Amino acid sequence: MPTLEAAEKVTGATRYVGDLLVPNMAHAKVLRSPLPHARVLSIDAAEARAAPGVVCVLTRDEVRAAGIEPVYGFVYRDAPLVALDKVRYQGDIVAVVVAEDAAAAEAAAELIEVDYEELPAVMDVEAALADGAPLVHESFSPIAPELRPIEGTNVCHRAHIARGDVEAGFREAYRVYEDTFTAPPVQHCALDLHACIASIEDGAITVWTNCQSPFPLQRELQRIFKMDARVIVPYVGGGFGSKSRDRLECVVTAAAQLAGRPVRLVLTQEETFQTFIRPAYHGTIKTGVRADGTIVARHVRFTIDVGGYAISGARSANNTLKVATGPYRIPNVLVECDAVYTNKPPSAPYRGLPTTQHTMAYETQLDRIARDLGIDPVELRMRNLVVDGDVHITGDLLRSTHAKECLEAAAAGIDWGTPSTPPETPSKLRGKGVSCTIKYTLTPPTRMSENGAAISLGEDGIFEVRIGTVNIGQGSDTTMAQFAADGLGVGLERIRVVHSDTALVPVDSSTTASRSTYHMGNAVLDAASKLTAETLAVASHLLERDAGDLALGPDGVEAPDGPTLAYDELVRRSGGPLSALGECVVGGTYTAPDGTEYPIASTFWSFASAAAEVEVDTDTGEVRVLRMGAASNVGKAVNPDSVRTQLEGGLGMELGPTLFERLVWDEGGQLLTAALMDYPLPTMETSPTYRPEIVEHPFEGGPFGAKGMGEIGSVITPAAVLNAVYDATGVMFHEVPLLPHKVLEALEAL
Amino acid sequence: MRPFEYLRPTTLAEATDVLAEHGDDALVIAGGTAAVVMMTLGVLRPGTVVDVGRVPELGGSRADGGVLRLGALTTIRSIERDPAIAQTYGLLAEAASQVANVRVRNRATVGGSVCYGEPQTDMPPALIAMGASATLVSSSSTRTVPLADFFEGPYETALEPGELLSEITVPQPEPGSEPGAGTGGCHMKFTIGSPENKPVANASVLVRLDGAGRCVEARIVLGALGPVPVVAVDAAALLDGEVPDAKLIAEVASRAGDAADPADDLRGPVWYKRRIARVLVERALRCALRKAGHEVP
Ligand SMILES: Cc1cc2nc3c(=O)[nH]c(=O)nc-3n(C[C@H](O)[C@H](O)[C@H](O)COP(=O)(O)OP(=O)(O)OC[C@H]3O[C@@H](n4cnc5c(N)ncnc54)[C@H](O)[C@@H]3O)c2cc1C
Repeated sequence: MPTLEAAEKVTGATRYVGDLLVPNMAHAKVLRSPLPHARVLSIDAAEARAAPGVVCVLTRDEVRAAGIEPVYGFVYRDAPLVALDKVRYQGDIVAVVVAEDAAAAEAAAELIEVDYEELPAVMDVEAALADGAPLVHESFSPIAPELRPIEGTNVCHRAHIARGDVEAGFREAYRVYEDTFTAPPVQHCALDLHACIASIEDGAITVWTNCQSPFPLQRELQRIFKMDARVIVPYVGGGFGSKSRDRLECVVTAAAQLAGRPVRLVLTQEETFQTFIRPAYHGTIKTGVRADGTIVARHVRFTIDVGGYAISGARSANNTLKVATGPYRIPNVLVECDAVYTNKPPSAPYRGLPTTQHTMAYETQLDRIARDLGIDPVELRMRNLVVDGDVHITGDLLRSTHAKECLEAAAAGIDWGTPSTPPETPSKLRGKGVSCTIKYTLTPPTRMSENGAAISLGEDGIFEVRIGTVNIGQGSDTTMAQFAADGLGVGLERIRVVHSDTALVPVDSSTTASRSTYHMGNAVLDAASKLTAETLAVASHLLERDAGDLALGPDGVEAPDGPTLAYDELVRRSGGPLSALGECVVGGTYTAPDGTEYPIASTFWSFASAAAEVEVDTDTGEVRVLRMGAASNVGKAVNPDSVRTQLEGGLGMELGPTLFERLVWDEGGQLLTAALMDYPLPTMETSPTYRPEIVEHPFEGGPFGAKGMGEIGSVITPAAVLNAVYDATGVMFHEVPLLPHKVLEALEAL
Repeated sequence: MRPFEYLRPTTLAEATDVLAEHGDDALVIAGGTAAVVMMTLGVLRPGTVVDVGRVPELGGSRADGGVLRLGALTTIRSIERDPAIAQTYGLLAEAASQVANVRVRNRATVGGSVCYGEPQTDMPPALIAMGASATLVSSSSTRTVPLADFFEGPYETALEPGELLSEITVPQPEPGSEPGAGTGGCHMKFTIGSPENKPVANASVLVRLDGAGRCVEARIVLGALGPVPVVAVDAAALLDGEVPDAKLIAEVASRAGDAADPADDLRGPVWYKRRIARVLVERALRCALRKAGHEVP
């Protein structure tokens, strides 16, 4: 079914943060560092303050004078509201100018004089890890307990995970393969640019933002400003991870506090490149196999370039340790990672990053192994894919896997096994490739509920569902309305969804990591069942019937033989709205039917496969993706249309970073791909035809058996394309994007 | 974007007067598709914006007396769609159809597409291949400059401060003089990703054949391969009087690649751009020959 808000969106009626107006609002522009790494010696904003229309200028001096906490960050508290002692990347925020309009603020920002002492910069991980490399941060400030910085280096997190004995595994292997893969940073390029309005009234903060984590942001605002805070997130026009954590909100609130009136900041497209990016990835994978293709050992070492601030990126690296060896049954595994500070913009998740890059590494290498051993790539995977009952690297017992069925369905989508139809000229080559993956969701270390959902029945006879899930285009309001309607046994027309306003909805940790359908869905079902019981109890009293004889019907509570008590009447007669709070408890351990206990490193594991057919032009090196198949085991497709389009969207978006998207800095740390003019994005013209398939095997514990799949389409794309190019040309690429000149170079080196 | 004064003259005289008065500080905008982007990025920071979109003398297009006259405000979209242009000036229509996307083509003007002076654009090579000239007017003078001499560097043209481009004239290609002979033109580009991205290279080729399939005239112009469009004179000369075959086409393409003067940038290294120049010229030349009635196997 179409999402509930579809008509409103396509007619342009939806209001995003950038469309909102608040009375007496002033406008902000940011002054950014021109240098990638420098000490800030002095800032003179006197002339800017005196410029026409200027309300105030926020620099480190004002932050210090205000007595607020000057540094923020969710997993690492290392990002200053505005530069304090140093700037750490080109584009780092130095000052915020607030004026009557954005143009006046922009003009005044140019009048600020900043004296910098330039410091040597480390523009990539290699440079940052070199002996004696300049330090981006002189000290570390991790917040998330699992983060392990290495003092005196740029490594802000080092970790590993292991099972079995990887060295012994390699010794028993028939052959061992080692490959190194790299992927450069890219940006999410959501249509809805980062935007925020902050207002302080009567000693309380209100922030309107398109951030995906309203509740963590609320806590951060309360900590920094020592006041109550409310965060309102209207519809968000895409984020893909670029808005997963707060970034501008505390800065704009500090500006609003100084201005004494509401302040609005909307970034330009170019500024988003300096706000959050997908980090650079570098990974070496070593795999040992038996002659029949059985994988016996795998060792993965990877680095993530977190940029100048580890506010988010350090954790992505850690989270993906557990999926870096893939959806395979491997007795001996070792994964090691370093998350490293550099003088690039801070990094954020990007539709499953860096699971995407791990998948690229292990799946591309697997095709090399397949070719070397003379085994069909699909067959080789079939021999190694996990099945229900296997134990993962984390010790988790895998359930509702069906990875093989996903692979079969994806491969069928491009007629795997039949050769490609010949291209129109012999200078073009065609080929096919597949990929498989496993993905986790964010999971607490101990058993707890990280989100609630409330449902109330009001005097209008409508069930209002209140959820913290941010509607970011994924169709969450619709899915949650479906859960509520089914759970209550009423029609969708009886449901109204209120989302992501910290003053109106119960706490939720975040809308990230494919978690909402499972977690919020369960909370909604829990609330629905509690509210059903409460409603029936009230009706039983009013109707003087046994609650067990009553049921919720489309328009009211029904008794088998008697009249229907309309919902609005029920609420009026009961003296006020009824409501219930649901939750979703996750984490802890899982007890199998045989009584064995297993850890839960991920509440559910998602499995998916992609298949791609490509055409390579050997004259130009151009790679075109002709068609793609994909399948994911989603447990239960609550809204099949949303599942398919979400899969398709992931595949199509990731074709950009696979084929041509990348951010490039020059040696001086200046971003060269600074505007969309020099940063190509996928469009309809670069889109293949898609065959997204749904695999459904209910997951015990999921709402109606559902589990998450939000990010998985993206994750499986690069490997499928690289493998198809390998099939077409015999060249195995170890990096993306597949820029035509690099393809041509490789073809000619054959 | 910095605040600016916005003027919208309604006659050519008024427009040139306003430009004479504001000199260097004024920026002309026509369709605004390039100018507004440059202003948003802060690359252009005019004090005064002179919107010439309502100047009637700059509008309209007509073909008469063997010449096509394109008013500066003629949109790229109308060049693409005009059946008369497609019939006689097919190369122009073909290049126009490859500019950006339909939204940009609906607004972008032919005057803007040449005055922009961007080395990667499609219209300049096609117009140069067709032998077009630009009429430049100021409050005190009018002059005509062949487009082959109009471009001076990236974003630099022969336009002087105070000057407007009023019209582009394109001579009608001579039809072949003998039965069965004809003229063929082709424009091709190679872009990474979507067609509206800046191309690695583009190429316009125009050929005229006699009744025996001999080439009596050939023009090859390359875009995005130097600071200004590259007219590959030596490469085209190889075709003089010849009946082109596969070997000759390859030679011409290779010579054209040598004429290119590309820079290493985000769209590829120098060797690659030369290679693409060769591929495009080879493909475009074959296509132009086919249109002129000579299919080379
Ligand atoms: C998304 C996008 C994709 C694009 N892709 C392509 C492409 O694939 N191929 C391609 O060729 N081009 C492409 N372009 C560039 C496009 O061709 C130009 O933007 C367009 O032709 C400019 O025309 P305009 O009328 O909008 O000019 P404007 O933006 O109004 O002006 C451009 C420049 O010309 C000057 N100017 C305009 N008219 C006159 C005049 N009559 N006299 C004197 N000076 C004048 C202006 O001062 C300004 O410097 C693309 C542009 C965009 C935005």
